[in-house]
Amino acid sequence: MSFLDILYLALRNLRQAKLRAVLTTMGVIVGVAVIVTMVSFGLGLQQNMLARFKALDLFNEMSVFGKSLSTLASGLDRGRQDADSGGDRRGPRLRPDKAPTRILDDAAIAEIAKIPGVAYVEPSIGFPVFVRANGHVQTQYVGGATVPNASSRFKDFVGGQMISSPDADEAVVNERFTREFGFARPEDAVGKTIEFLTPLDEQKGQARESKNEEVPSGFFGLPLDDQESAEAKAGNLAAHSFRIAGVLNTELKEGAGQGGMRGLFPGAGIYVPLKTARQWIIDHRGPMSQVALALARESGALSSSGLEGYDSAVVRVTNPVVLTEVRKRLTELGFGSFSIVDQLDQIRTVFLIIDSVLGLLGGISLLVASFGIANTMIMSILERTREIGIMKAIGAEDREIKLIFFVEAAVLGLTGGVIGTLFAWGIDGIANRAAYRFILKPQGASFIDFFSIPPYLWLGAILFALVVSIVAALYPATRAARIDPVKALRHD
Amino acid sequence: MSFILEARDVSKVYQMGSTTVAALDHVSVTVNAGEFAAIQGTSGSGKSTLLNVLGGLDHPTAGEILFDSKPLAPLSKKAMARYRRNSVGMIFQGFNLIPTMSAEENVSLALAFAGVRGSQRRKRAQELLDRVGLADRLTHRPTELSGGEQQRVAIARALANRPRVLLADEPTGNLDSTRAHELLTLLRAMVATDALTIIMVTHDHELAQTFADRIILMKDGAVVKKDEG
Repeated sequence: MSFLDILYLALRNLRQAKLRAVLTTMGVIVGVAVIVTMVSFGLGLQQNMLARFKALDLFNEMSVFGKSLSTLASGLDRGRQDADSGGDRRGPRLRPDKAPTRILDDAAIAEIAKIPGVAYVEPSIGFPVFVRANGHVQTQYVGGATVPNASSRFKDFVGGQMISSPDADEAVVNERFTREFGFARPEDAVGKTIEFLTPLDEQKGQARESKNEEVPSGFFGLPLDDQESAEAKAGNLAAHSFRIAGVLNTELKEGAGQGGMRGLFPGAGIYVPLKTARQWIIDHRGPMSQVALALARESGALSSSGLEGYDSAVVRVTNPVVLTEVRKRLTELGFGSFSIVDQLDQIRTVFLIIDSVLGLLGGISLLVASFGIANTMIMSILERTREIGIMKAIGAEDREIKLIFFVEAAVLGLTGGVIGTLFAWGIDGIANRAAYRFILKPQGASFIDFFSIPPYLWLGAILFALVVSIVAALYPATRAARIDPVKALRHD
Repeated sequence: MSFILEARDVSKVYQMGSTTVAALDHVSVTVNAGEFAAIQGTSGSGKSTLLNVLGGLDHPTAGEILFDSKPLAPLSKKAMARYRRNSVGMIFQGFNLIPTMSAEENVSLALAFAGVRGSQRRKRAQELLDRVGLADRLTHRPTELSGGEQQRVAIARALANRPRVLLADEPTGNLDSTRAHELLTLLRAMVATDALTIIMVTHDHELAQTFADRIILMKDGAVVKKDEG
């Protein structure tokens, strides 16, 4: 008997008990609709969250870590993470995946920049300082910026522009800075002067020391005389002046990153050229840092005139796909790295659990539906015992009888699966429009698709309904095939 | 001389609670090709059980059935289904047509199980129904047909796959005597024209004597008299 004949017989049987078939299918429809609706909500949640991460450049940036000063000083291969305070980094404390074995200096930065797939690499550097501007004094966190800068952080200016050259005594501030320092409008700050304050004696001694003993003249291409001249002395304080070249727009459209953080780069209120920032850190070392440097030189971890490298740098890749590849290369070079993708795996796991729980709830309703299918099939066998006996008497094989029942169940499951998916799609659409109309729109938010029904979800749900139906028919079909024709023909 | 069907020392024992009932008790019967044999007996004599065993619907507890001198016993379930489909055809007192199918569909079903396809199946079903005189009843459901007509549909179905033997279990049991005579005349003609072998179970001695070549008399699960015709 051909499959078409079996399908024909199965459909004929279902037609004969239309109401029962419809009711059984309803069970499957509800089950599938619940599964698809619930899982699509979970997936939509995940998708919206990841889309936000993506918008913040979290997927194509990572942090690279070199050997920190404290590690060099203690002569250990691996520093204690909690004591790693070589630099005064602010922002989230990011942990590298592996302990770095190399110093992240300018040569290393240049090497990293050459790795295929790296769009740019920028050292993360920063320090806190007392800043005087517009008659106000406040502590501010200053970050170093490569000039010119390719990152998205320096694209959006409220007024002015980026620092003009790597050696310029210029700074870029953010909008919040202008508010905190009492500028009426952010644009007003452009062209104004800000001063970084240091104690006079320390400044003197430090500068002299670095000039005479440690730093060769013109180190890092920064003429120290220029720096000296830029420092206006007032009372017991020395000040280094910068001209504000531009004001950054702090507000991020997506609403995340309260501190103006974008990507992995720690945010700062003021940015100065990278070299200037690095020189400032070297010149204004705290006692702890001085001890660490001396120890590192003593142990031979650093040469007598050598300096520690950067703690970390932000590496941006051209495409998120190559991120893993680049990270592998970085590990080979002896650097540690951190990527949000590590966290992403955890986030994915959480969502997997959420989706599984939601799917399970739907699965239970489909399980209930499967009992309905089994029940329908058994009822059908009881009704059709005689018919099965007749079929056997005229030469039907057990396999064929079994197949007829399996196909019947499969038709119920498939129909239920398809209609259930359409139902879920409709429910999602209505719920989404309702949510937009009554929740999002009154708040002035734009339309967001809360649900996601990828092909694998609906195809999977239909397939699942099909499999569940066939499994439910396993017992009834076997029982039908085992019917004794002699008894069945006597049956009425 | 070879027999088309042979029962050799066949027994069929049913377990009914603690007691055993022997429906067939060491029965040996032979049927020649092209013969119209009648198995006659009262109800409970085991004649229907013998027919079911011969038709491959039931298995004997002991003894063996030979079709064309080959024993059925070693056949698999699948081969038994094939035997029922192609080697023997069966008709019953209660007709056993599928009530939701038309006459043509009932006949087609047997052809479908044998793998006959599409237009050929249709043609053959119409041919068969024409032969039993129901060419104008193709689309009628069993409920729209008289008893005699239903039994003719059953005959057409039983002969669909050209079996050599037709097993009839009280074929006239639900028919009045006029219809019964008509039906048996038809069967008798088939034996003559198509070299068909018929084994008919009946309790009606007069009918058996009128139409059958030979009567096998059964009582209490055993053959009591073989009237060698």
